[in-house]
Amino acid sequence: MSIPLLSLIVFVPVAGAAVLVFMRSDDAVRWTALGFGIVDLALCIVMLAGFDTTTHEMQFVESRPWVAALGITYALGVDGISALFLFLTALLGLISVLASWVAIDRKVKEFMVSLLVMQALMLGVFCALDLFLFYVFWEAMLIPMYLIIGVWGGEGRVYAAFKFFLYTLAGSILFLIGVIVLYFQGGETFDILALTAQDLPFGVQSWLFFAFLVAFAVKVPMVPVHTWLPDAHVQAPTAGSIILAGVLLKMGAYGFLRFSLPMLPEASLYYSTLMLLLSALAIVYGGLLALAQDDLKKLVAYSSISHMGFVTLGIFALNLRGLEGSILQMFNHGITTGALFLFVGLIYERTHTRSIANYGGLMKAAPIYTAFLALFTLSSMALPGTNAFVGELLVLSGGFAANLAAGTAAVVGALLSAAYLLGMYGKVALGPPSVSAKHKIHDVNGREMAAILPLAIFVLWVGLYPRPFLGIIDASVRNLLVQVHGEGIGE
Amino acid sequence: MTAVALLQWVLASVPEIIVVTGACILLIVGELVRKGRDELLLWASVAIVLLAAVATLMLAGEIRPAYAGMFISDSFAVFFKLVFYLATVLTFFLSRKYAEIEGIGRSEYYVLLLFALLGMMIMASAIDLLSIYVGLELMVLCTYVLTGFLRKERRSNEAALKYVILGAVSTAIFLYGVSLIYGLTGTTQLDRMAEAVSGGPLDPALLLAVVFIVAGLVFKIGAVPFHMWVPDVYEGAPTTITAFMSVAPKAAGFAVILRVFLNPLVEASNAWIIVAAIAVATMALGSFVALVQDNFKRLLAYSSIAHAGFAIFGVVAGGQDGIASVMLYLLIYAFMNLGIFGAVIMMRNGDFSGEVIDDYAGFAKFHPGLALLMLLYLFSLAGIPPTAGFFAKFYVLVALVERGFVALAVIAALLSVIAAYFYIRIVMVIYMREPERTFDPALTPLVRATLAFTAVGTIGIGLFPAWFLRLVQQAAFGG
Repeated sequence: MSIPLLSLIVFVPVAGAAVLVFMRSDDAVRWTALGFGIVDLALCIVMLAGFDTTTHEMQFVESRPWVAALGITYALGVDGISALFLFLTALLGLISVLASWVAIDRKVKEFMVSLLVMQALMLGVFCALDLFLFYVFWEAMLIPMYLIIGVWGGEGRVYAAFKFFLYTLAGSILFLIGVIVLYFQGGETFDILALTAQDLPFGVQSWLFFAFLVAFAVKVPMVPVHTWLPDAHVQAPTAGSIILAGVLLKMGAYGFLRFSLPMLPEASLYYSTLMLLLSALAIVYGGLLALAQDDLKKLVAYSSISHMGFVTLGIFALNLRGLEGSILQMFNHGITTGALFLFVGLIYERTHTRSIANYGGLMKAAPIYTAFLALFTLSSMALPGTNAFVGELLVLSGGFAANLAAGTAAVVGALLSAAYLLGMYGKVALGPPSVSAKHKIHDVNGREMAAILPLAIFVLWVGLYPRPFLGIIDASVRNLLVQVHGEGIGE
Repeated sequence: MTAVALLQWVLASVPEIIVVTGACILLIVGELVRKGRDELLLWASVAIVLLAAVATLMLAGEIRPAYAGMFISDSFAVFFKLVFYLATVLTFFLSRKYAEIEGIGRSEYYVLLLFALLGMMIMASAIDLLSIYVGLELMVLCTYVLTGFLRKERRSNEAALKYVILGAVSTAIFLYGVSLIYGLTGTTQLDRMAEAVSGGPLDPALLLAVVFIVAGLVFKIGAVPFHMWVPDVYEGAPTTITAFMSVAPKAAGFAVILRVFLNPLVEASNAWIIVAAIAVATMALGSFVALVQDNFKRLLAYSSIAHAGFAIFGVVAGGQDGIASVMLYLLIYAFMNLGIFGAVIMMRNGDFSGEVIDDYAGFAKFHPGLALLMLLYLFSLAGIPPTAGFFAKFYVLVALVERGFVALAVIAALLSVIAAYFYIRIVMVIYMREPERTFDPALTPLVRATLAFTAVGTIGIGLFPAWFLRLVQQAAFGG
């Protein structure tokens, strides 16, 4: 590959941020950010078009020495597990720009710069084939995200930003120690593929598993280290919530898939029951918490905890359906929850309240809005025909195969999600128009439609014809299973 | 003693000779410089340092022992001298406007800084406890005076007095340790001392001597339990001097510590357990106490204690990577700490002291560029990638894990999370508060140059650490 496609994908947003720094007019800033977002998404589509679904090998690989003395390389590559996330990140990045078009009215330039830098770092995380490089991308995200929550957030933004920052830093610093231990155990290299090929003693694997678990569990987030998430989500601006829910949470799960499972297979198998139970706990507990929320954003935030529980459940089911389901479900969750946060943001811009009790009868005032809200609510509930149905079904079937109790808990969680989502939708969209909704609410405009439509398309596309998406991940997941279980035990 | 050998000795110490000659000339000629032409002093001082730097670079690459085992010019010394030059020149740059505002820009100020530089250079090159002592005293005597340079301010006087008294005690302890060593081994040279103890169980008196020497040195880098002077002195001293002291003399202290700890005597004494305890205590104290500081200079004082603690972890790790990691840490710390101090110094203008953290509220609104620079330094101090501060910490952790000190690495890492809190709190004040005032930073071209240079270093070493890593590894392995 003569053109370093992945480097382009990662650094186009950085270039965009650099260009923005020299701009003065807010409108020019918005359009330029949008332009760079579109270019980046186009590059991701080019990447997917050239993606070979028949192999589990890394593709579009680039590698050059970075810090030779410590065996650190600048190495990028994608396989079936990461390819979808690159696309998702670029898509949600673009939608975040659209979502902040009028919602962010001060320090627009700084906001767009943060957003673009954030996007570049997230893309970097999914491409990195070197642990050190991965960690740099992973940790550097704290800076723009801290600013996005802390500067442009709501009332309690400072507290939420601190909490987010410290939780994540504390989690990932142990991961860093784990990485360094792995470096010495695995023959002084940070090369992810070389480390994957190592066979570490079980004792080392156990320690590393828990060091990694802390970092990834905070990011996912898994109960009991989830408490930063509601704060961060509620206080973050809409774009921040979309990025957080859509991409950031996926990184924890991606970490399990990229590091814990292939590098520490024995420990992953050994502790899989523990992980399944933690996942089941997150599914039910997150669902119960969501049931009790009056704040729209909090409701979606807690539902995220529950839905990410499905993802980790699928991962640690450690079978084909579970893994494929959970990767697909991550993609779905990014689309659907991103859309739900977008919808909360849209209505908040109009009414300046997020309390469900203040809403009612929105269907009359904003029929298009409520129609799409229905679509995404149903998708979040995993109704057949929508994207999450496919993912959740696979996860459940994998989960039941692995652990009956965890599978049962997941079913309970699915029922809970129907309860809180339908309850929310009923109160907001149906019924008599509420008192506070009496001021004129405009329906969605063209720009907002541009943000909604692509998400809606993916909801239905994955729901009705998931094969191309499963095709992308299939080969890599099969290979991952071989790495975990050894040859021959694929199913 | 032939003339050629003598010439060799002189040659090895040409940089020191340049600085001492230049400083003496400046001391005399400086009085003749008329008021209002102070920039002449500045440029003359910078020229002296640059000349010394050129001489140092020309000596690099060869090991030159001199003065009968008292002094050596090796790559280790060269590296540290370059760090000192960097810190000193940047301090000169930052001082120009600040000294004018505070009314301290007389020739003594520059001359004392040059003599302090000389002391540090001797420390870096010294391989005998006595020459170490001479360099150490020359350096601290100058910094005592510089600390009290704001003669009309009680805070400054108090700080200087505290510093002198505590410094004298620590010097005495150090000297007592040296005398014990001499009594037991009959030498004060580092390598001959090592020969005297090789083989056989260690004399408990020697252990005592080592403890005394360690205690004396620990004072200079402001580590627990000899850290009490740091906050008061850092707060009371002119900010430029604080910036200087937090970087250069601290690096000099570490140079000596590394030299002494390279010594088998200390390795034989299991002193690393003491040092590990010191590292943990220092970092914990610096990090926790910094959490509650309202004064920017005091906060940076505790932050510098915490950073010293982290660097001591590198000393604990020992070995070549351990030494190299400390050196890299000090280099990177010089960039980011001079950067953040540059920002604080720049704020001192008119009636505005810029010392209270809350005074920075909303700074980002009026000066987005400067705020971004402060953000960069602060995140680097907190150790967040891709800044250089992260790589510094990373390499220390690598050295620790390499030696099997995983538990220590975990402690160091967790403490640095606590330290991160107070750095990002400043970022919060700068970015997330509404401004209560307008700002008028004293942005002279020299301050701008300093900020730009340190910023380039802070981000540059973070993104391209390979070259710097090779530099410190060569300096550590080759010396």
